[in-house]
Amino acid sequence: MTENKLCNRIPVNTKEELNGLLQDKSGKQYYEEMDNLEVDAKALWRTIQTTCKSRIRTWLNICAHCGMCADSCLFYLANDNDPEQVPSYKIQSTLGEIVKKKGKVDTTFMKRAMDTAWGKCTCCNRCGQYCPFGIDMGVMMSFLRGVLFSQGFVPWEMKIGSGMHRIFRAQMDVTTEDWVDTCEWMEEESEDEWPGLKIPIDKKNADIIYTINAREAKHYPEDIAEAAILFSIAGEDWTVPSEGWEETSIAMFAGDWEGASMQVESVYEAIDRIKPKRMVVTECGHAYRATVIEGPYWTGQKNGKTPVETLHYVEWVAEALRSGKLKIDPLKKIKEPVTYHDSCNYIRNGGLSDCGREIMSYIAEDFREMKPNRDHNFCCGGGGGLNGIGRYRKQRNTALKVKRDQILATGAKLVITPCHNCWDAIRDLEEVYKIGIRWSFLKPLLISMVEVPEHLKPKDE
Amino acid sequence: MFKKILFSTTGTSLCDAAARVAFDMANRYGAKLFIIHIFGIPDRSYSQAAIDIKTGEKVDLNSDHFQKVQEEIKQTYSEQIKHNKECEFEILAGIPGTEILRTARKKDIDLIIMGARHSKKEKKSPQQKLIIGNTLQTVARSARCPVLIIGRTAASFWGGISNILFGTDFSKASDSAFLFAYKLARTLKCTLNFFHVINISEDSSGNVMDQNEIDDRIRDARAKIREKYLSRMEEFEDYEIDVWEGIPYVEIVKYSREKFADLIIMAHHSKKIDLEEANIGTTMEQIALRSNCPVISINHTDKI
Amino acid sequence: MYNFITGPLAWFSFLVFFIGLFIRSVFYLIGLDSKLDRISYRVNSFYGIKEAFRSILYWMLPFGTRGWRTQPGMTFLFFIFHLGIVLPTVFLGAHNMILKERWGFSLFAFPDYLSDIMTIVVLVSAFVLLIRRIILPKVRILTKSSDYMVLFVAILPFFTGFMAFHQFSNYPFWMIAHIISGEILLIAIPFTKLSHCFLFFLTRAQLGMDYGIKRGGMKRNNNIW
Repeated sequence: MTENKLCNRIPVNTKEELNGLLQDKSGKQYYEEMDNLEVDAKALWRTIQTTCKSRIRTWLNICAHCGMCADSCLFYLANDNDPEQVPSYKIQSTLGEIVKKKGKVDTTFMKRAMDTAWGKCTCCNRCGQYCPFGIDMGVMMSFLRGVLFSQGFVPWEMKIGSGMHRIFRAQMDVTTEDWVDTCEWMEEESEDEWPGLKIPIDKKNADIIYTINAREAKHYPEDIAEAAILFSIAGEDWTVPSEGWEETSIAMFAGDWEGASMQVESVYEAIDRIKPKRMVVTECGHAYRATVIEGPYWTGQKNGKTPVETLHYVEWVAEALRSGKLKIDPLKKIKEPVTYHDSCNYIRNGGLSDCGREIMSYIAEDFREMKPNRDHNFCCGGGGGLNGIGRYRKQRNTALKVKRDQILATGAKLVITPCHNCWDAIRDLEEVYKIGIRWSFLKPLLISMVEVPEHLKPKDE
Repeated sequence: MFKKILFSTTGTSLCDAAARVAFDMANRYGAKLFIIHIFGIPDRSYSQAAIDIKTGEKVDLNSDHFQKVQEEIKQTYSEQIKHNKECEFEILAGIPGTEILRTARKKDIDLIIMGARHSKKEKKSPQQKLIIGNTLQTVARSARCPVLIIGRTAASFWGGISNILFGTDFSKASDSAFLFAYKLARTLKCTLNFFHVINISEDSSGNVMDQNEIDDRIRDARAKIREKYLSRMEEFEDYEIDVWEGIPYVEIVKYSREKFADLIIMAHHSKKIDLEEANIGTTMEQIALRSNCPVISINHTDKI
Repeated sequence: MYNFITGPLAWFSFLVFFIGLFIRSVFYLIGLDSKLDRISYRVNSFYGIKEAFRSILYWMLPFGTRGWRTQPGMTFLFFIFHLGIVLPTVFLGAHNMILKERWGFSLFAFPDYLSDIMTIVVLVSAFVLLIRRIILPKVRILTKSSDYMVLFVAILPFFTGFMAFHQFSNYPFWMIAHIISGEILLIAIPFTKLSHCFLFFLTRAQLGMDYGIKRGGMKRNNNIW
C-alpha cells in the first residue's frame, strides 16, 4: 500500500500537516487516497470491544425492525420517504454490520459508512424520541463517527477541523494574539456609539466568563461587540479569557474524541484561571453540547457538570429580561410574524426550550410556533458539521426542505435562530429556495430594541 | 500629509477611477501604497470555502488560489505598478468592510481610498446584500482615518487641490471633518468653502417649510458656522461661507460644481444606519456617486 | 409424552425464560458505563430516576408520547396486539384452572368469550403487522427472516391454543402443539428480540436517565416525551 500523505489514520497535529490538507483543492487528492486506505480490522474490532458496550449492543440487537423511526428523520422526509434513509437501516447497515462481522470490513464498506455517518445524519437525536425502545440512533451514529475517525475514514473538512482544534484550540486559525487584538479593535470601534465600552480580558473573579465561536473573531467581529454592548447594558461584571476562549467543536463532529477533549479542557482551564461565578456561551448550539453536556465526560468530571454553572446565551438573555437587567422598549418590539428555530443541541439535547419562549414573550408581538416545536422540532438540515462538508452539499441542500416547509407553514417573515450553524443553514435555505424570509441571531435584535441607560449613551453636543 | 495609503479594490473597471487617484496620490505624497483585494466571502461555516465576489463561484481558500488572485490583480494594475514599485498587495477572503477596517487598523493607515460602487447592484443576491452590507457605509462609518471616495471617472482627474468644499451638519463628527479640512486647506494653501444645507424635504406630516422660516434658518446656520469653526481658525482668511436650502446631496453637488471644488470633505454619521436608509443611500454616498470631484469622509480625529 | 412436556420440559422452559431474562438484564446493567455512555448514572441518580419512570410510563400509554400520536394506525395495532398477547395469557380461564390445580391459587379470569375475542384480535393484528412488514418499504428494508420467525413463534401458541380450546378436531394434537409452542416461545424469549418483553423497561429507563441527567434534565422539570 502506498503511504497516504493526506488520508491516513493519524490525526492532524502540526501546521504542516494542516497546510498539506488545506492545499488540496476540495480534498480531491484526499478522497483519491482514501480508496487506498486499508482497514485495520484488528484495531477496529478492538475499538468495538473496548468502547461498544451493552447500551449500544442492546440497541443494535433489540431493534424490532418496526420502522417507526422513519418518519422522525428529516432525511427520510426530505428524500421523499427513501427507505435507505430509515434511521434504523442507516445504523444497522453500518455499525450493525461492523459488529456482526467483528470488524472484518473493507475500504469500500468504510467509505460508504462515512457517507452515511456524515452525509445521511446530523446526529440530531430526533429518532431516539420516536423509537418505542428508546434506541437513540443519533448517539450510535456519533459513536460510529468516532470509530471511522480512528480508522481515518472522515470527510476532508472534518479532518481539517479536528486539526484546527488540536493546533489552535479553535475551529479556525485564530491565535490568541488575533483574538485579543480583535477584542481591542471592537472596543475602539464601538467607542462612538457606546462610550466607555470595554471588553475585559482575563479579569479574575468576574461574575461571568464569556466564550465564543471562532468565526466571530475571524469573520463577524461585530458579534463580539454586540455581546459586549448587551453585557454592558445589563450591568454585568464579565470578562473573556485570552486562552480557552473558543468553545465550539468540529472535533466532536469529526469523531475525534481526543481532540474534542483537548478543546474542552482549554475552556475549563480558563475557568480555573479566572474563577468566575458562571460561564455564558455565545449563540451556538453544538458549542453548548460539546462544552457543557458532553465535555465534562470527555474530561473526566465525575458529576457530569462543568466546573462552574454554564449558561447558553438564551438562558442569560431570558434571565436578563426576566430580572429587568435588559428592558425592552415596547414600541420597538418585533411586529412582523416571527418564528423561533429550536436547535437540536441545546433544545432537544439541552432542555432549554422554555428560555426561547420566554424571550419571545418579551420581544415579539406576533410569535408563531413551528410545528412540531421545542424538543420535537426538526434539525435545520445543516447540523453535525454537514453545513461545511463539500462532498455532501447536495444532500444538505435537500435536507433543508423540511425546515423550509416548517417555516412556510408558520407564515413568519423572520426566523430567530440563536445558533451559528442553524443561522448558516437558514441563510443557505433562503439562498437555495428563495422563500423570502429574513433570519437573525438574538444579539442584533436585542440591541435594536433594548432601553439604553443614560450613562451608556453617546454625549451629543 | 499621508504616509500610508490603503487602496481597496474589486479589481474590476468599477475601481479604475479610484485606482488612478490612489496611485497618483501615493506618488505625489511619497506615501506607501497598500492595495487590498477581498475576493471572496466565507460560504461554508467553518470550512475552507468561499464565494468569489466577482464570479459568484465557489472557490477553495488555499494558497494556490490566493496566489492566482494576486497575479490577476497585479496584472490589472501592471501599468501603474511600473511607476510605483514599492506598493504591496494583500489578498483576503472575508466580509469586505470588516477586512478593510481590520487591515487599516493593523497597518496604521492614514488614508483609505475606495470606489463608490463595488459591484453592479443587480448582481448581488439578497443574502450577499444582507451579509456584505454596504461596504462603503461600513468603512466610512467606522474608519479612524479619512476615507477618500471616487465615484465617477470625472472625479478622478486629480490635478491638485485648490478649492475644498467642507459640508457640515454641525454634528460632533463634523467637528473632526472640519479639523481635517482646515489642516488640509492650510497645508495645501487652498480655499476653504463652508457649506450647510437646510433640508426642505417634507416632514412626516407632509409639510414644507415656508420661506420666512427658511431665511431664519439660513441666518442661524451662518452664525453657527462662524461660532463653531471660524473661531478656531488662526490667521486663515481664504474662506467663504454659504448656506442654501434644498435636498442636501443635490445642493452640495451643485455648489461644488459652481465653486469648481476639487475635493468635498464631510462627516459620515457614526450611528448605525437601518436597512431603509441603506437602500436609498446616505447623503454622502449620493454625493460620491454624482460629484465631479472626490469626496473624503472623516469621522475621527485620530489621523489628523 | 404429555407428562414430559407438562412436567420437566415445562420446568425447563420456565427456568430458561426467567434465568435467561435475568442474566440478560444483569449483563445489560453491568455493561452500562458512566464514562463510555457519558452519563453520570450514580452521581445524579435522582434526576435520572424520575425521567426513567416517566419514559416508561408515557410509552406504555396509548398515545402517551408524540411518537405514538404521530402514527395512530401503528399505535392502535401495536397496543391491541400486545394487550392481546399479555391479557388472555395471564387471565385465561383455562390457564387459571391449571394454576389452581397445580399450585393452589389462581388469578382473575376473563369470561371465555372475551378471551376468544382477544385471541382473534391478536391473530388478526399479527396478520396486519405481517402485511405491513411486507408492504411498507420503510419496514421491508429493515426486515430479516428472523423477524418473520419471531412473529411466527409468538403467534403459534395463540393459534394452537385457540384450536385446542374449541376442540374443532384432533384435540390431543392441538393441545400438545399448544404446550410445545408455548415452551418454544418461553425458551426463545431470552435469546431473541422477544427479550424486549423485559428489556423494553431497561432500555426505556436508560434513555430516561440519559435525558434526565445529561440532556436537559438538570435544568428543567419534565422532559417532553
